[in-house]
Amino acid sequence: MPLIELKNVSKIYRLGSQSVTALSELSLLFEAGEFAVLAGPSGSGKTTALNLIGCLDRPTSGQVIVSGMNLGTASSRQLADFRLQHIGFIFQSYNLIPVLTAAENAEFTLMLQKVPKKSRRERVRRLFAELGIDGLEERRPADLSGGQQQRVAIARAMAGNPQVILADEPTANLDSHTAEELLELMRRLNREQGTTFVFSSHDDRVISQARRVIRLEDGCLSDDTGADR
Amino acid sequence: MLVTLAFRNLWRNQRRTLLTLSAMVVSAALLILALGVFSGMFKDMLASATEQYYGHLVLAEPAYHQRRELFSSLPAELADLPALRDAPEITGRSPRLRSFGLLSRRDTSQPVELLGVLPELEQQVTTLHQHLTAGRYPAPSDRNAALIGKGLASKLNVQPGDELVFVTQAADGSIGNDLLFVSGIFATGDSRHDNNLVLAPLNWLQQVLVLPGRIHEVAMLVSDPLNAALVAARLNPQLPDNLEVLDWGALLPEMREVIAAYDVSRMIIVTILYLATGLGILNTFFMSVMERTREFGILMAQGMRPWAIRRLVLLETLLLGCIALTIGLLCGALMTLYMQQIGIDLAGYITPVTYAGGTILPRLHAVFEPGNFSVPAGMLLLVSLFAGFLPANRAARLDPVAAVREE
Ligand SMILES: Nc1ncnc2c1ncn2[C@@H]1O[C@H](COP(=O)(O)OP(=O)(O)OP(=O)(O)O)[C@@H](O)[C@H]1O
Ligand SMILES: [Mg+2]
Repeated sequence: MPLIELKNVSKIYRLGSQSVTALSELSLLFEAGEFAVLAGPSGSGKTTALNLIGCLDRPTSGQVIVSGMNLGTASSRQLADFRLQHIGFIFQSYNLIPVLTAAENAEFTLMLQKVPKKSRRERVRRLFAELGIDGLEERRPADLSGGQQQRVAIARAMAGNPQVILADEPTANLDSHTAEELLELMRRLNREQGTTFVFSSHDDRVISQARRVIRLEDGCLSDDTGADR
Repeated sequence: MLVTLAFRNLWRNQRRTLLTLSAMVVSAALLILALGVFSGMFKDMLASATEQYYGHLVLAEPAYHQRRELFSSLPAELADLPALRDAPEITGRSPRLRSFGLLSRRDTSQPVELLGVLPELEQQVTTLHQHLTAGRYPAPSDRNAALIGKGLASKLNVQPGDELVFVTQAADGSIGNDLLFVSGIFATGDSRHDNNLVLAPLNWLQQVLVLPGRIHEVAMLVSDPLNAALVAARLNPQLPDNLEVLDWGALLPEMREVIAAYDVSRMIIVTILYLATGLGILNTFFMSVMERTREFGILMAQGMRPWAIRRLVLLETLLLGCIALTIGLLCGALMTLYMQQIGIDLAGYITPVTYAGGTILPRLHAVFEPGNFSVPAGMLLLVSLFAGFLPANRAARLDPVAAVREE
């Protein structure tokens, strides 16, 4: 059974009398353990697709099935619970909570999951070590570099042991060297821990690192290469 | 951790939080002070009528208070009636005989109300002994000592030690008259008492009126004046039909109304003042929520339930409310303490005002009353919660997609 299934998914935004079709009749399958990139020019629907996969948004038509659950009729509370247990997000501009320390940012998901304090600390400590940011636990996001912040963001996304991590242009704000490192890190996590990664990018160097490349154009699938099957 | 987050969020925009906080503290503290001064005014007003004259409860014949008939007299032993003696709330009982007549010194005469009392018992009910300006309070051993008001003393031009003649109608139809000497002069600030009231020994007045062993009333003091009506209602069924206990509220219905209306007016004052404070809090938290739209989006993406988001914002407002409350109560208590201990004397600017049967003294003076603290405190928390509710709702209803997209 695929981990993520999009069936004829369309997303139409209405702006007054106009309507913008962000995605039209998109069908995609992702297996557990994939490392896939959504590529495409600006406005092609990458962010929209990630938001639908991440159960942050509901499709206008079609079905999104994640981990065997069809979330079309779920309430916002059920969606929130589902995201908490199954999905991790990484954003382009890191989006750490500025008043929390690096460790607290990563710990927050675990707190929402009601993990006891001691195991929370332990898990975050190990994650930070794994991501090469140990020693930065007590810093506030403002006192970290972009690359460090994005690693903390990865730690945050990984902390709750999600089945899939969705990253919207995670390297767009970083210089190419840091971007390379970060990508390598995500690939290692994918290899060693089997976490599924789906991210978006329009940077060709980043795209070339992915095992599977899904190209979108005007909300339609234009190319899908390197899928595991 | 949620509390930590709420707390740190509060201090994010320090200046804004401090401004809102000080608005809350100032309104709470000033409210407490103002209510304390109000209560002080009411207390003065009530005291001028009760603790300087009536007492809180008066036992007499039912018709006595309207007519004050010389002949409505009662046996003096009534002051020791078991029902009165055994009531735990009653802290003082003073048997009194009352006479209206003329008090003269050489060729000057003044109409007066003369109360025959037992000084040691009268002191348990009224506080005139605390308002002496000259001389001393009559002693139990004095045969014909009189305590007179300051206004009366100056009209008659007398000082302690001077002699006076009291003339009135006696119970046997004769003209009663006898000598008094001034032992002391009191000033309460209430002109009706200061110009008109005389205390003299009970025995002496009984002889003048030819009413040996008789009194007109028993004035009593209770521990909580606001409870007087209840005590009266409980005592009356235990008394014979020709006797009745009236509380100060029945003697002074206007004052009872004014004091009963205080609870309502306090609510109104608190509400009006807090309405403004509440709008300030509302504004602060709306701004704070709007600024953090993106953050709420992230928290939602992470899997925080809308209700938890709402709780977080409410926690922040409540936390601010609690801080404001602590400081506000403290400042309010300190200012009230100052006004209680020292106060402000306005005697140079205004004269005493007689209102609803009592006298408001020309001073600002506060008293501590639990309700003056609990009402502003409870309302402040309520207002914080209410003012937080709209922004909290707003945050909880954010669309995570739009919120994360927000720049
Ligand atoms: N809230 C919205 N309201 C209206 N139109 C929207 C909204 N969100 C996205 N769109 C439109 O949907 C289309 C797809 O947007 P999307 O953000 O998914 O593109 P993208 O591939 O992520 O672009 P970029 O590379 O610039 O991030 C665009 O035309 C965009 O203008
Ligand atoms: Mg995008």
